[in-house]
Amino acid sequence: MDHALTLRGVTKRFGSFTAVCDLSLEVPKGCIYGFLGQNGAGKTTTIRMVMSIFHPDEGQISVLGHPDAAEVKDRLGYLPEEKGLYKKMKTAEIVAYFGKLKGMDRSTANEKARGLLTRYGLGDWLDKKCEAMSKGMGQKVQVLGSIIHEPELVILDEPFSGLDPVNRDTMRDIILDMKRQGRTVIFSTHGMEQAEQLCDYVMMIHKSKLQFAGTLAEVKKGRDLGIQLDYDGDGLALKDLPHAARVNDHGKHAEIFLQRGADPQQALRWLIDRVTVRRFDYREPSLHEVFIRTVEEANQRLEAAGAGR
Amino acid sequence: MANKTILVAQREYLDNVRTKTFWLGILAFPAIFAVAIGIGWIMQKTKATQPYAVLDLTEAKLGERIERNARANDQLASLRRVMVDAKVSPEQLAEIDAIDATDPSTFPKKFADQQARIDPAEAKKLLGRIESIAARYRYVALAELGAADGTREAREKALKDKVRTGELFAYFVLEGDPVRDADELKYVSNNLTDDALRDWYSGATTRVVRKLRIAEAKIDPDTARHIQEGIDFKAQQVTATGAVEDVKGEQKANKFAPVAFVYLLWIAVFTAAQMLLTNTVEEKSNRIIEVLLSSVSPSQLMAGKIWGIGATGLTIILSWAVFGLIGVNLGAQVIPAFREWNLTEVVGDPLYLASFVGYFLTGYLLFAAILVAIGSVCNSLKEAQNLLQPVFLLLMIPLFAMVPVVQEPNGLMARVFTYVPLYTPFAMMNRASGPPPAWEYAITTVLILGSVWFAFKAAGKIFRVGVLMTGNPPKLKEILGWLRTG
Repeated sequence: MDHALTLRGVTKRFGSFTAVCDLSLEVPKGCIYGFLGQNGAGKTTTIRMVMSIFHPDEGQISVLGHPDAAEVKDRLGYLPEEKGLYKKMKTAEIVAYFGKLKGMDRSTANEKARGLLTRYGLGDWLDKKCEAMSKGMGQKVQVLGSIIHEPELVILDEPFSGLDPVNRDTMRDIILDMKRQGRTVIFSTHGMEQAEQLCDYVMMIHKSKLQFAGTLAEVKKGRDLGIQLDYDGDGLALKDLPHAARVNDHGKHAEIFLQRGADPQQALRWLIDRVTVRRFDYREPSLHEVFIRTVEEANQRLEAAGAGR
Repeated sequence: MANKTILVAQREYLDNVRTKTFWLGILAFPAIFAVAIGIGWIMQKTKATQPYAVLDLTEAKLGERIERNARANDQLASLRRVMVDAKVSPEQLAEIDAIDATDPSTFPKKFADQQARIDPAEAKKLLGRIESIAARYRYVALAELGAADGTREAREKALKDKVRTGELFAYFVLEGDPVRDADELKYVSNNLTDDALRDWYSGATTRVVRKLRIAEAKIDPDTARHIQEGIDFKAQQVTATGAVEDVKGEQKANKFAPVAFVYLLWIAVFTAAQMLLTNTVEEKSNRIIEVLLSSVSPSQLMAGKIWGIGATGLTIILSWAVFGLIGVNLGAQVIPAFREWNLTEVVGDPLYLASFVGYFLTGYLLFAAILVAIGSVCNSLKEAQNLLQPVFLLLMIPLFAMVPVVQEPNGLMARVFTYVPLYTPFAMMNRASGPPPAWEYAITTVLILGSVWFAFKAAGKIFRVGVLMTGNPPKLKEILGWLRTG
């Protein structure tokens, strides 16, 4: 059994609305897997089905080799999208409580909770109440609560949302540490950078349908190369670049895609005359670009299908 | 599996019991009770002396006789009271009853004789009692008020002025010949609500006038007393064995005790159930529920919450029971009425206490199931409160039925209430003074356990779906759908 998670033809409907449509997916053991998609695309519903909080209307799910996550609850870790803590409980208590709920004995859970919190920079907060913590700290406490029992598979629903850079790094460390220990981590995110840096595999859902799934290299394969440009100067000028198909301008950085057959060297020459180029890189597209393109293409297909009907 | 339920329950319990506000709340209840009783008692004790004057315009100078009689009567009542407390023989009580307070020639001697018979401790108590009663109303001589002489109008004006300034609480005017015709007696005061002085003085006047009228009509005093004797039915009851016995004060208290118990039961059930609702909604609104559900099943979570908060409620009522026992025992030292009613026995009555705990648990479980289901479909306390209103109204009914049921514990209404599952715990507690026959206890136990089981099943189905729902609360139709399919 080399897959931590397998989905086959999974569909979930809420009334007339289809939240997830015919989703098939394999998550190999020991990898970091990113779930991408817009808000409302179906990521959380998928995760909830994996966690047996919802049950799919069609299709099969196999979690750690079992058809129902309820059977392997204690081997799973889960951080839901909406995060909350018991305000009146102390930090170490609540992490230990989550551990105990997963079947850990009292003293091990208490010890482990204090150890984890200290290791990830919350040593001063062990005996403070959760209500006193900032949002970012609370989120860290929650993640630690979901991994205290050393689960084989951890599913984190948007673990990075709302975190400052320092806490993001801590969150990244937590995820990488788990990978190093041979655990499987699935997380959903809107942050393409995190996904690009962390994930071995990514998949994307758009409007309840799977768009792509695979390693980062596989996902980017066959896509147009693009210019990665760091610059100073007036970004508006970039819009006039000859033979440009698309320009994603971020102000100091831009990603530029040329029409088929256009020469990047010419583009560079044109750019140097207009802005101060600090870095020019001709390479595979970023995940961000892949994401945006996928959304656009999918929407066009849907429109076409709608018009053709 | 059950282990997780216990973990959840434990956490709920500790979460509540650990807070200071919880214990303050527990303490506040008996404290408020004690303060309420204490204030009444203190007010009684510290009631200001009411000074009064009497403008006696009668030829026979009745005022003096009335005053003497009023005081003598108070002393006699105090003596009787102390004797009853000292549990003297019925013969001696009869002797006391035979003393005529209206006869100034014999009263002081007879009173002194009786006083001499009681032991020093009781005598001291008697003196204290007489003093405190005597201090309630103070007779002020007209001379002190500048109303001793002059025209009638001038004297009365002086008295009126004293009433207005508050120097006098009231004054009485005795006029004409009250023995013949008592139409011209007046009581003048600014206080319209406190009638105690007027009643007290009227009592004495009645006794004096009556005695004079009897003498005038040449009726033998013994005959007169016989005629005037009040008739009373002696209260008796049939015991379980079929014997007839006298009803004592404690038994009356005993019969009414269930009212207090039902009231406490109601507060306890409602407090605990409300706690559960708040807690469920809170957990749902701060999204912690999803994390929990990744570790425990919805039914474990629900059961854990219900048991945890049930234990909290049990802690509350056990604390109250302890406070109650302590309070009643302390009260018995201070307030004699407590001792007479034998409240310690009433509060400590095993049937009552067992019913109280048992019906708390079953009543709580029933309402807990309803409220946890409501809580699970609501996203905010505000929403929950709207849904709660009908439940609250349902819960009010046992309170209204409390007194009628206790008066007729095995009557039709009591029985009807008993078989409405929501009210069974309250009704059975209420009827405990009956007490209902054993077979009713058996049937209601089955009934209520069955209802609890059913309520738990239904609540479980609603909870499982509702707890993960966001957005608008579901319609009743949808909920019924969950119940059918779940």
